Amino acid sequence: MIATLKKILLVDDSAFMLAMLANAFEKESFMVIKAASANEALTILETHKPDIILSDYEMPIMNGFIFRQLLLKNPATKDIPFVFLTTHKENELVMKGLGELQAVDFINKDTPIPVIISKLDNLLSTVRQKQAHAVEELRKAAEAINVKSIPTKGPSFKSFEVGFWHEPYHGYPGGDFIDFIKVNDRYTYIILGDVMGKKWIAWFFTFSYLSYIRATVRFLVSDEKTDPAYILQKINQAICKDEVLKDVLAGLSLLLVDEQTSNVKYAGAGDVPLLFYKAAEDELTTVKTSGLLLGLFSNAVYDSHDITLKPGDRLLVFSDGLIDFTEESGKRKSDYELFKKNVHPYLKMDRSFTIIRGYLQGLLKDGRQADDASVISIYKK
Amino acid sequence: MILDTQKTEKFLIAKITEQDANLEIADKFRDEIFALIEQDNHRVVLNFEEVTYVDSSFLGAMVAGLKKALSLGGDIFLVELKKDIYNMMHLIRMDKVFKIYTHAADIE
Repeated sequence: MIATLKKILLVDDSAFMLAMLANAFEKESFMVIKAASANEALTILETHKPDIILSDYEMPIMNGFIFRQLLLKNPATKDIPFVFLTTHKENELVMKGLGELQAVDFINKDTPIPVIISKLDNLLSTVRQKQAHAVEELRKAAEAINVKSIPTKGPSFKSFEVGFWHEPYHGYPGGDFIDFIKVNDRYTYIILGDVMGKKWIAWFFTFSYLSYIRATVRFLVSDEKTDPAYILQKINQAICKDEVLKDVLAGLSLLLVDEQTSNVKYAGAGDVPLLFYKAAEDELTTVKTSGLLLGLFSNAVYDSHDITLKPGDRLLVFSDGLIDFTEESGKRKSDYELFKKNVHPYLKMDRSFTIIRGYLQGLLKDGRQADDASVISIYKK
Repeated sequence: MILDTQKTEKFLIAKITEQDANLEIADKFRDEIFALIEQDNHRVVLNFEEVTYVDSSFLGAMVAGLKKALSLGGDIFLVELKKDIYNMMHLIRMDKVFKIYTHAADIE
């Protein structure tokens, strides 16, 4: 479980204590960051965000009290659960300051290490449960006002089978979004977008993006301007003028599916190139456009590609969460070609979307997922 | 500090000192690059020698830095990118947004 490792920052001026604690926590699958002083810990915290901090109280130069006060002053560190490691004589002192210092707890140095670990483990579980609960509450609220970045059900097609799937990153809503806009019995727009960034911030912006996209598509279609490239250009111009969204970038794949001709017109904005499986040749090709991310430059120009699907052919539209992965060493990587090679056998004519989805779910298992992941499959019956 | 800087005659070279350029350090990176640009370093070379992964949050912060530099008549160049990272940049067309060179010495 690489990506879900619990990250702990240990702060202690005793090299022996630090090594002993680090060793014990590592054995229990914690990712340990060590700091020999409060100053060193503050430097580490500029670039790392541990899940929890366990700090000695009595340390030279800067003691735990001042260290904690500094953390509380910084919005980036004030909410990281903090536990003091104390001696008996300090207990009273810490007890007095516990409210002011907002430390979650203090643990006596004499406590056996397995007990310290289990105490911190429980604490983290409680924090995670609270977070999960808050996410659930927000989700319910968003659903109640009918804002969804991923639809529950797609439209039905006569000559295509369209399936989609989305996997949030660590259960948090993210920047990916999917939408279907049925214009009439013949034309449907299929949308897959990815607002850059992770978790909440990206998620909040997906709704603004979706509003622009829906409004622009509807407005332009009513004016008989249906080319996805033209629509992207207009969406981009609108976003670049928006005071709130202008620095929020997004990748977008916009496809216009024509039921009558089995043609798909595709335009992309900094999106992950599509995969096109041709059944007759058992060949998988990459379909790439030259469009830049939305929100970058207001004068950006977009191009569209016509793809005609024959029976058994399939288009796969997906976000970068499917090509990003975490290696066993904990290092994260992106590899489009590897994904293309591995997914090829699953795109054949006899494979249903359920099988493809099963394969993709397997790819992201065991902590390998590095970002939220979405996919849409368009299969010509 | 995420950026280790070195001033040359032509530009400021800023080396990213973290391997995983991700959400956790994106804001800090943005603050640092903005501060450097505001200190009259309009032409910045970002050295990716140490970086093994770039996520979309960090990429967003890079773009914000680029926009800032461009607005002041400057630019941001990327050098020493690992193959994986270059491929990812190329995939989402960021190679059209940033000027990418193998080494800082190749920049004209």
